[in-house]
Amino acid sequence: MLTVLLLHALLAVSQTRTISGQIRDEKGNPVPFASIRIKGQGSGTAADANGAFTMQLPAGAILQVSAAGFDNLETKPGPSPTLTINLQAQNTMREVVVTALGIRRSKNSLPYSAQQVSGDDVSRTRGSNFVSSLSGKVAGLEIRQNNALGASTNVVLRGFKSLTGNNQALFVIDGVPVDNSNNNTPNQVQGRGGYDYGNAAADINPDDIESLNVLKGAAATALYGSRASNGVVMITTKKGGRGIGVTINSGMTFGSIDKSTFAKYQSEYGGGYGQYYEDPSGFFLYRDINGDGIKDLVDPTSEDASYGGAFDAGKMVYQWDAFDPTSPNYGKPRPWVAAANGPVTYFESPASNNNSITIDGGSDKGWFKLGYTRTDEKGILPNSEIKKDLVNFGSSYNLTSKLTATATINFSKINGLGRYGSGYDSKNPANNFRQWWQVNNDVQELKEAYFRTKKNVTWNWTDPTDLTPIYWDNPYWVRYENYETDSRSRYFGTVSLSYKITDWLDVLGRASLDSYDEIQEERIAIGSTDVSKYNRFTRSFRENNYDLLANVNRNLSDHLNLKALVGINIRRTYINSITASTNGGLSVPRIYSLSNTKSPLQAPNEDVSTLGVDGAFASASLAYNEYLFLDLTGRRDKSSSLPEQNNTYYYPSASLGFLFSKLLINTSWLSYGKVRVNYAQVGNSAPTRSLLDYYNINTAFGDAAMTTTALTKNNPDLRPEKTKSYEAGVELAFLKNRIGLDVTYYSQQSIDQIIPAPVSNATGYNAKFINAGRIDNKGLEVSLNGSPFKTRDFSWTIALNWSRNRNKVVDLGGEINNLLLGSFQGGVSINAALSEPYGTIRGSDFIYTNGQRTVGSNGRYLITAASNNVIGNTNPDWIGGIYNTFKYKDITLGFLIDVRQGGDLFSLDMYYGLATGLYPETAGLNDLGKPLRGVPANGGGIIRPGVTADGKVNTIRVNTVNYGAYGYRYSPAAAFIYDASYVKLREATITYSVPAQTMTRLAPLKGIDFSVIGRNLWIMHKNLPYADPEDGVSAGNLQGYQVGAYPTTRSIGFNVKLRF
Amino acid sequence: MKKIFILFSIALLAAACKKDIQTLNQETKRPTEVTPGSLFANAQKKLVDELTSSSVNQNIFRLLAQYWTETTYTDESNYDLGTRNIPQNFWDTLFTRSVKNFAEAARLIPLQDKTYVSAKTVQNEAAMTEIMSVYSFYVLVSVYGDIPYSKALDINNVTPVYDDDAAIYTNLLGRLDAALGKLDATGDSFDASDLLFGGDISKWIIFANSLKMKMGMQLFDADATRAKAAVEAASPRAMMSNEDNASFSYQGAPPNTNPIWVDLVQSGRKDFVAANTLVDVMNTYDDPRLKFYFTGDSTTTATIYNGGLYGSSNNYATYSKPGAKLLKQDFEALLIDYAEIEFIRAEAVERGMSVGGTAALHYNNAVAASIEYWGGTPTEAASYLGQSTVAYATATGTYKQKIGTQKWIALYNRGFDAWTEWRRLDYPQLVAPVDALTAIPLRYPYPVQEQNLNTKNYNNAATAIGGDLVTTRLFWDKF
Repeated sequence: MLTVLLLHALLAVSQTRTISGQIRDEKGNPVPFASIRIKGQGSGTAADANGAFTMQLPAGAILQVSAAGFDNLETKPGPSPTLTINLQAQNTMREVVVTALGIRRSKNSLPYSAQQVSGDDVSRTRGSNFVSSLSGKVAGLEIRQNNALGASTNVVLRGFKSLTGNNQALFVIDGVPVDNSNNNTPNQVQGRGGYDYGNAAADINPDDIESLNVLKGAAATALYGSRASNGVVMITTKKGGRGIGVTINSGMTFGSIDKSTFAKYQSEYGGGYGQYYEDPSGFFLYRDINGDGIKDLVDPTSEDASYGGAFDAGKMVYQWDAFDPTSPNYGKPRPWVAAANGPVTYFESPASNNNSITIDGGSDKGWFKLGYTRTDEKGILPNSEIKKDLVNFGSSYNLTSKLTATATINFSKINGLGRYGSGYDSKNPANNFRQWWQVNNDVQELKEAYFRTKKNVTWNWTDPTDLTPIYWDNPYWVRYENYETDSRSRYFGTVSLSYKITDWLDVLGRASLDSYDEIQEERIAIGSTDVSKYNRFTRSFRENNYDLLANVNRNLSDHLNLKALVGINIRRTYINSITASTNGGLSVPRIYSLSNTKSPLQAPNEDVSTLGVDGAFASASLAYNEYLFLDLTGRRDKSSSLPEQNNTYYYPSASLGFLFSKLLINTSWLSYGKVRVNYAQVGNSAPTRSLLDYYNINTAFGDAAMTTTALTKNNPDLRPEKTKSYEAGVELAFLKNRIGLDVTYYSQQSIDQIIPAPVSNATGYNAKFINAGRIDNKGLEVSLNGSPFKTRDFSWTIALNWSRNRNKVVDLGGEINNLLLGSFQGGVSINAALSEPYGTIRGSDFIYTNGQRTVGSNGRYLITAASNNVIGNTNPDWIGGIYNTFKYKDITLGFLIDVRQGGDLFSLDMYYGLATGLYPETAGLNDLGKPLRGVPANGGGIIRPGVTADGKVNTIRVNTVNYGAYGYRYSPAAAFIYDASYVKLREATITYSVPAQTMTRLAPLKGIDFSVIGRNLWIMHKNLPYADPEDGVSAGNLQGYQVGAYPTTRSIGFNVKLRF
Repeated sequence: MKKIFILFSIALLAAACKKDIQTLNQETKRPTEVTPGSLFANAQKKLVDELTSSSVNQNIFRLLAQYWTETTYTDESNYDLGTRNIPQNFWDTLFTRSVKNFAEAARLIPLQDKTYVSAKTVQNEAAMTEIMSVYSFYVLVSVYGDIPYSKALDINNVTPVYDDDAAIYTNLLGRLDAALGKLDATGDSFDASDLLFGGDISKWIIFANSLKMKMGMQLFDADATRAKAAVEAASPRAMMSNEDNASFSYQGAPPNTNPIWVDLVQSGRKDFVAANTLVDVMNTYDDPRLKFYFTGDSTTTATIYNGGLYGSSNNYATYSKPGAKLLKQDFEALLIDYAEIEFIRAEAVERGMSVGGTAALHYNNAVAASIEYWGGTPTEAASYLGQSTVAYATATGTYKQKIGTQKWIALYNRGFDAWTEWRRLDYPQLVAPVDALTAIPLRYPYPVQEQNLNTKNYNNAATAIGGDLVTTRLFWDKF
């Protein structure tokens, strides 16, 4: 067939004839400006405003006709010189989508909500993690990306459903689940330091994605049983087409920070905490440095705050560099002024590369594809880089007309170097710059000092007489000496055989393996403020899935079609990890090995976890006259992590769809209409090893064995947890599909949850596994597609997604009324409390009098003694995205505006940074025009807005010479809650496709696309000062806390795509 | 072809189903059975670690006693207990790491195989575990006031009610007496798993009597009769020399070193210097312990001791720092020492109890024991006591002031005990720093987690003690 086609194409050059024709719609009306091309060649023409066209037609040629708003059509013209081609109005709903277990169905027939995203939509911006490219593109999908290089991305569909378990959507590639673990440590996710190693879905090659289908509700995913309660992102990879195709993508991206997401500094006062020191002013050390017998002013370098002496260019002060013998400024004082190069100059403007090649081919016998993608991504921090190599191979061969063998193998290798330190930690420079800093420190001079000496020459000397770093290392030392490296090698592959027994029954057997090994190595060099250390974490993950499926597709009568499926799935997951660390420091500098430990090595931590789930399932989809659709599914799972008496459980679902527009043929304004309702129950099994109690073994003390009880009490009577879900939706298209609307309402109740419920420590435990609790999620999702403007050369299309989710903790099992999800520095916690949304922030609050903040007799705010006041809610009111595409001839401009409205966060950066006097609000003049940082006797200082206990307006002016006037010291946690809303210009692309006419001269090239790409270009609106409200510490259930936040990277890239 | 397919399917199923699914859930790296001794040893260490630690996240009693002060981050010196969740962390460690594990050991002790473990050994082990448990609860009740006690340590009751602190105190004294009655010096016990006394029951008898004296004296202002009975009964069998000290010997390598070494040396941090409050007093007495307690002031050539202004920002290099003795990896920790017992005897005499001797005699014994314990000579002790400002007959103030001041100096490095004695005796007269958030705490507020998880009982307890405030006086702290 292939050769025949090629022959035809070759022959066609000599044998051509002229035909003329018209393009019409279903009702016979002309379709303007359709494009008509000859298959296999680039050449073609376009119809005029009346749908008419004339062209030279080679003999035997096949025409490909496309027009906006209509389905593409291929037709082989007959011998007649005139031709009428009827196009069918496009129905976004008629497209074929991939549903659970890889079943392909027409979207028409789906009785539940599913939203498709094309592979181009996620790979267009050439980001290295396609997951973040989904933000704003799917209604009901909340993506939270963190700003660190290679950081994890939180992917939650329709709200948090599991109180303490996993809430991340399941990723499925070609019908097989793929692991998306995030191994960030409990300390890391609670902002106490460590690295965000990202999540494993980042291993998926965006260039290999044909399309993504997001199955949001339980009815759509019930066939996956216990792991699908959080919704599924179904990924269909590219398959080989006919003939040989080669696609090359080559791109380069340039990044820089968005300055609105980084700290601004006051420039009036230098280092110090106040009037605590030695000189007569109290702001400086007072030592005779130059030996002239007269005491000199010295910066109190041990003090990591900017509440020191007022800047004065005439004042000569010995600063950190005066004590570094290699410094050009050694032994010299310098003017007391703000630094020329502040922390913002620390961030680099990295260039990243992304290159890929895909080769595919196919014939009647089968197809193959081979892809390779290489990404080199550099971060905004010095010495940070992630390299990815992704190889995909897939092939299918028809052994006989009935038997097909298919195999795919994907190999990925991710190498990280110098991921950003996170949380409240010496390895997080943003923690240093945003909270603990002297604004007189010049970052570029610190850079020179490090590269000059390769030593930890820091601004934060203990004292002029003790030149060791006290709290903070040189920020360049941190990046070049205390760096991490990591790598993950992964194989993901499937082999399957499918056999077509009759034309209505086929059987598929499939085995798949998801296997990866990772290593994470962390270093702290000798000479750092922290104890020198080498830490090594290795983990291997194996998951085997075995499936046997029988598919039925049969017309039971002229009106009734049955699609049925029966199958079994056997899943085995093995996870094995080991963490080892040097003890008490390193012996030899710059050697990072376990043998380089100072004290004898402590036993490493080993963890082995295995899980088995055996499932059997069946589904039936009945279609009556192509307008009434009924789906019934059922699955039975048996899980190894549940007690024998409770380890088997069932998930049923029922869905009904009614394509009522089929019955309304004469309604011209309505081109499509469907309503759907469904109910499903899905659930989840227990974490492994949560049934029996175990003791922990600690390092022996001499001859004494040391053991201790576990902090979490296990429970041998656990039952599977369940989510019940109801969904109703309507899909409409108007005005010949110029406007499409999809509205879905859902209500989910997650009950009988398995939670390690935190308990009063007075029980001797921190937590206890119980089945309890209920979370309700209710929400509305709206998708709107439209093409408001369309002519031959110019078109404008809009895709809008909007969703709101309302979440409420309804029950916690009667014994407890609050589930503490995480506790954080700053005395705040994230909670799931009874009758509140999941994820409320609790902490100390102001004491209010008549709704006003109350000020005590000392002029400071009164603060509640208790820290369990609800001071914030991390859930957004709604999220949405608008994608606009403008097309003019061969140029396409697309841009995405991503919106999040509402939701709160707690900023530890403001909590400390305001106290240490870094930000502009802590300097300047007060209401009397005198310095804010002054004494009331001279009219300085501040009056805190509020009332005194008797309700009168506060008039007490307080001394603010020393640190803490703002910030945490005299304010409750509630003062650092910020609105996390944003409006972002998330992505913008301009693509120029070389026109087909030109391409014919460039054979064998078939297509050239040039694109200019922008990501995170502009935060159009936000309420959080100096940071990106979207940034967080890690993916997972704990959101709404910022510490040492990194600025957003704004990137602009160029990409060339060549198709052969 | 059909056959191939069937074979393929069968092979798939066979590969997957060979193991019973239940066996996959087995833990292979942690035990389900351990010896009671291993739990006892670990719980002992955790208790001593927590009381010895100088981590600002765990133990800030040295700051409350104004022995040390902070250099740059002065929050805790100014009584900000909330930022670092200190009341939570201390409570959590004592309940889950100490008392829970003593209770678990107690549960397992009688279940040991009788063939290898005699009834006498079981009885001794049970008594030792009981004494450690009493000690731990004594600390908890002295820090917070009312706490969950009778309903504590029961995972089937996750919202345990709080008991009245005075009632708990009485109950603890009763448990201590009962345990004392069971100790049998002719029997065996945990041996190497007893990290305090290596299983020496005669030492345990002295330790338990000393604890009884200490707890008894603390009760005096609230219940003089019961206090008197406890102190008088225990004194003859309580500590008689530094040989009897309840000391915990740390080891030379992490993680079994003294936690102070971890916090001050290994961490490389420079968070603490000597507080002027203590150094100034010791300077006026020319105290021979200064050279052991602190380093000299590095900014001068002569060895002088200079404390940072308590609660203020202090330059690390400028001031005296904790002395070299404290910074050793294997520096021992003390739970109770002889000096402390002699101070109690001195006070007992003043309060009209019969413990033999005079107040001055016991006072002198206490001071001398302390000086000698830290490395001073008997001569130094004698000349120190010879000063009119120190000598019991001539020193300023009431017995409370004399004993309070010298006991405060002697309890250096034992922050919890020093803070408790200051609360009880009200001497020395410590002053809160100018920027302090509150007055000097008289107790810890309850943990945030209790507020959130055990709300009703928390609220009741807060009301019962007179408000969950740091300034609420506990029942024994009458004055």
